[in-house]
Amino acid sequence: MQVLRIIPERCTGCMRCELACSYVQTGAFQPARSVIRVAPFEAHTSYAPYTCPQCAEGWCLTACPVGAITLSPVGAKIVLDDQCVGCKLCTIACPYGTIFYNPQTQKAFKCDLCGGEPACARACPTAAIEYVEAETADWLGAFAAERAPRHQELQVAGAGVR
Amino acid sequence: MATRHLIVGGGTAGLNAIRTIRAHDRGESEIVLVSAERPYSRMVLPYYLGRSIAEAHVFTATPAHLAQLQVQAHLGRRAATLDPAANRLTLDDGTVLPYDNCLIATGSSAVRAPVPGADSPGVHSFWTLPQARGVVGEIREGSHVVLVGAGFIAFTLLNALLARKAHLTIVEIAPQLLPRMIDRTGAEMVEKWLRRDGVAIRTGATLTAIEDAQGQKRLRFRQGEDLLADAVLMATGIRANLEWLQGSGIWVNRGIVVDDHLRSSVGNVYAAGDVAEGLDLVTGQPAVHAIEPTAMEHGRVVGANMAGRNIAYRGSLLMNIVEVCHLDIASFGAWDDPAAEAVAATRPERWAYRKLLWRGDRLVGAMILGMSSDIWTTNDVGMLKGLVQAGSDLGPWKEHLRRHPFDIKPAFIAAGTTARLLPQTILGRPSVPVGPVM
Ligand SMILES: Cc1cc2nc3c(=O)[nH]c(=O)nc-3n(C[C@H](O)[C@H](O)[C@H](O)COP(=O)(O)OP(=O)(O)OC[C@H]3O[C@@H](n4cnc5c(N)ncnc54)[C@H](O)[C@@H]3O)c2cc1C
Repeated sequence: MQVLRIIPERCTGCMRCELACSYVQTGAFQPARSVIRVAPFEAHTSYAPYTCPQCAEGWCLTACPVGAITLSPVGAKIVLDDQCVGCKLCTIACPYGTIFYNPQTQKAFKCDLCGGEPACARACPTAAIEYVEAETADWLGAFAAERAPRHQELQVAGAGVR
Repeated sequence: MATRHLIVGGGTAGLNAIRTIRAHDRGESEIVLVSAERPYSRMVLPYYLGRSIAEAHVFTATPAHLAQLQVQAHLGRRAATLDPAANRLTLDDGTVLPYDNCLIATGSSAVRAPVPGADSPGVHSFWTLPQARGVVGEIREGSHVVLVGAGFIAFTLLNALLARKAHLTIVEIAPQLLPRMIDRTGAEMVEKWLRRDGVAIRTGATLTAIEDAQGQKRLRFRQGEDLLADAVLMATGIRANLEWLQGSGIWVNRGIVVDDHLRSSVGNVYAAGDVAEGLDLVTGQPAVHAIEPTAMEHGRVVGANMAGRNIAYRGSLLMNIVEVCHLDIASFGAWDDPAAEAVAATRPERWAYRKLLWRGDRLVGAMILGMSSDIWTTNDVGMLKGLVQAGSDLGPWKEHLRRHPFDIKPAFIAAGTTARLLPQTILGRPSVPVGPVM
């Protein structure tokens, strides 16, 4: 299966992935509706995009009481809007925090790999996001751990993160 | 001869077991289902009450779908007695069903407060589809509904009742709302939030009787004024459906005691869901978690084991999430463990409150309140669940989260949580979707 491989060292924090994602997912440029989210590290001196790893268990998929989450032809876990009742069970079952909920439509939503042409990967100017044949993996752990001491230092010093 | 699997109860646990058996054997074994009701999901009944879904949406398998799964279904029949020595189940109509493996997944029933008038017309429980239909038929725009009990199940009904434009009063015997789901501070925030939406709340109120009052219901309390209601909804607790197992010799404590393979004290009799007392993921101790995710995981593990695999279950994680009037309320794991080290923080301007609980460097539970419009409320709920589930020592990140409980993501990522979680699967292989019931 093709997955989104993230190479955090290449990310400049330009947020184009968020814009592109929200545009494809919702038809409008609204990063608040993006399902890929750029996480800042070290008080906004380095960044990395974070999104659904399309895990093997599919915690969201198995949690859904009405079978509203299924596998798409490209292997993404996707929410079927006409089946989702908006109970949020998937949002607490997903241990990666990559299921979202739209209070307006009262539906869950998540990364569907844009049906096999992920907008984030296309929009990324530095190829920090690639759509490639690979095993899904923890792309960010080592990168973040390396930056951890400084992140904590800055936090303790009171630099805001959000 | 083909192995004969007997599933008692066609709710969440039973149906997940059936689907898992079929995913493994593609029809080689015999599956017999006995269920007092047609398979449906109780937890989506509130959306039917709130008119956001049609009644048909609650069903998790139609008779045609069961036939497709090659299930011989005895629907509308109850299990009456189990004879594990003879591997036989007798139904309420006298039918005798032999089995090789049996799953007990009979769920729970609603229990009403033990007061005079609790069983009179106009007083409802909301646990089954027939009960939901009863409530749907009774509530009109402007009806004054009194909800007795302010636990999790009561809260799953609030949005639906408000969507039906009922006037709502919640009465709760405990001194706070959601006493088994959130702490006092959280409950006070929820109370304030609900009052803004016009919900009347009386905590610490002991109901003593319900009387008829000219077409209405009069609720009397040990202290304080009577309440007049057009309809009374009782959400005062549940009891596991286990009476029929009396005399069977199956070992029952708070629920049917099961091992890590979900086997009861009788090796070829399994139990799953609300009736099972299985392992708690966080404490490693036996516990009854009467929640949907536990029923689902139990059901799948039993299904795999019945189909001949050897799946040990790590245990279930207690978790509840409910949204009321666009406020998310969630808690999981050991959120109220008095022995755990707790850190709490609020952001009053955003109606956000969090409490993280620790045992050493390990996160063992959490409680979260926040507006549904704040995306990070949702994302952080998931990541905190992930941190508890991964069970990792957070080392220096513990201090970070202690100081900044609203800055979860960097800790989650840098602690390598994703790497710990990715290999985790319940059945040792990728999950297969069931798809919607057409
Ligand atoms: C209104 C409501 C809202 C809820 N919301 C949530 C929520 O948001 N999150 C959450 O985690 N959980 C929620 N729950 C709880 C959740 O629905 C249950 O934990 C779950 O259904 C348990 O699954 P189960 O398979 O153990 O039992 P059930 O789903 O109850 O199924 C039991 C089945 O056994 C049948 N049965 C009973 N006795 C017999 C017998 N003697 N013989 C044959 N068949 C029998 C019943 O008819 C039923 O079909 C909610 C429940 C309700 C009622």
